[in-house]
Amino acid sequence: MEGFTVKAFHDFLRENKIMGSRCKDCEGVNLPPRPVCPVCGGRDLEWVEIRGKGVVEAYTVITVPLTKMSNRCPYAVGVVKMDGGPSVSGLILGVTEGDDVSVGSRVVAEFVKEGDETVLCFRQT
Amino acid sequence: MKLSKGVAIVGVGMTRFHHKTHAEKTSREIFVEAALEAVDSVDNGIQLGDVEALFVGNFSSDAFEKQGHTAALMADWLGLTPKASTRIEDACASSGVALNMGVFAIASGAYDVVLVGGVEKMRGLGTEEVTDTLAMAADGLYEVGAGFTFPGLYAALATAHFDRYGSNWEQLASIAIKNHHNGALNPKAHFQSEIMDTAIRRGERRGMAFKDEIDFLSSSLNPVIAYPLRLFDCCPISDGAAVVLLASEEIARRFTDTPVYIKGIGQASDTMALHDRADLTMLRATRLAALEAYRMAGVEACDIDVADVHDCFTIAEVLATEDLGFFPEGEGGKAACEGRTALDGDVPVNPDGGLKAKGHPVGATGTAMAYEMYKQLRGEAGKRQVDDVKNGLSHNVGASGATAVVQIYGR
Repeated sequence: MEGFTVKAFHDFLRENKIMGSRCKDCEGVNLPPRPVCPVCGGRDLEWVEIRGKGVVEAYTVITVPLTKMSNRCPYAVGVVKMDGGPSVSGLILGVTEGDDVSVGSRVVAEFVKEGDETVLCFRQT
Repeated sequence: MKLSKGVAIVGVGMTRFHHKTHAEKTSREIFVEAALEAVDSVDNGIQLGDVEALFVGNFSSDAFEKQGHTAALMADWLGLTPKASTRIEDACASSGVALNMGVFAIASGAYDVVLVGGVEKMRGLGTEEVTDTLAMAADGLYEVGAGFTFPGLYAALATAHFDRYGSNWEQLASIAIKNHHNGALNPKAHFQSEIMDTAIRRGERRGMAFKDEIDFLSSSLNPVIAYPLRLFDCCPISDGAAVVLLASEEIARRFTDTPVYIKGIGQASDTMALHDRADLTMLRATRLAALEAYRMAGVEACDIDVADVHDCFTIAEVLATEDLGFFPEGEGGKAACEGRTALDGDVPVNPDGGLKAKGHPVGATGTAMAYEMYKQLRGEAGKRQVDDVKNGLSHNVGASGATAVVQIYGR
């Protein structure tokens, strides 16, 4: 697969793979992938698969939603620091109250099919 | 960064920020109202025709009103064509950045008189559509796509701050109480009511009584929007505009004997997505913009006598007062609780009510802060006047901190 694009990231998710870009110069990892390393400006990149486990760095439980999410309120969404480096945003499934999860909670990735798309979500372990 | 020429504010104007006042108007009428008030405010008089260029901050008239090309429209409606008119869009920091651009335009020697304004007409849409539109200021693919709303991003910052520093929601509530108190003293504020008065009024309607503000703010009448943030932790959705007139230092005194000088400016960017940041308990862009502005002005945080900071949510005021250096990391909420940011505190913050009570028509907020600093430095802020103001500061943030801009003002 060519190009560290949004489409490539989503195509990998359909295969239940979380793929980021790694800079061959400074070894910085970005998730989702980027065409230029934001740390050193390097453009020599390679794909790296991120294992689907991590820890909640910050989160919220939303009760006033975006229109596209209005049928699933309340729902939790958070920033998850993946084991091995980068962080990413995703829904935290099974959480409907602020006290159901906390900063530091361990989570595991869950690939949720929505039509043709696969959405990266998390669930507490 | 250094400017080759000094720049002063010589006049200011703003509409009331409100959800109903401007219901029958569009952004062009709101902007013209603020601009004409600014022109009429100039002590020794100024003609609209003296304005050589315009910079207009506006986040999204495109989505709110289906109207683009906002800057030319405002020049047109003010009768200022063919003067150059430029729109600046940096989310909620649009007119704060426009102000810096206006300063650059004069400092470069290109112009002597510039009009900088901001405007947003938000109430044409319902709450969910406004939520969608504001979310456009975050990373649409990887944050909003993941389910974050705009309040949700600040709520997430709050959980990280609470976790690291042991700060808490009661501290956030004290900021809402303080800013509503200040708003009650500001005839241009969206909310001009103490929270306790609101609590009594709303409670009476439902047969409920509250022993104090926290009792009300913890009740079902203050629902959670995005945990841990409740309704009164969020700024309202308002319409409004604010305009400032800038002049080069050579000619500023032609217009007024008491110009307010913009002594320092700074601006910085950061990653769009929170998940790309190393630290979720601060806004790095604020720190860098402030550093630049303090250096240019030759002052430090402890020299600031009054500040308008970007409190789109109560947690944002905590972060701002720490990132601007008013309080140590982790102690912004505690300082607010202790009254240190009140009108009579060590560093009065948001004397006009802040975004929280004054309102936040997003594109107008940066210039509305400059409006307040002009009034404070000239001793014209009425009931909310802070004593002995020598140095003022304004701090305007785009979305969750991907843009921050700071100005420092002096006499």
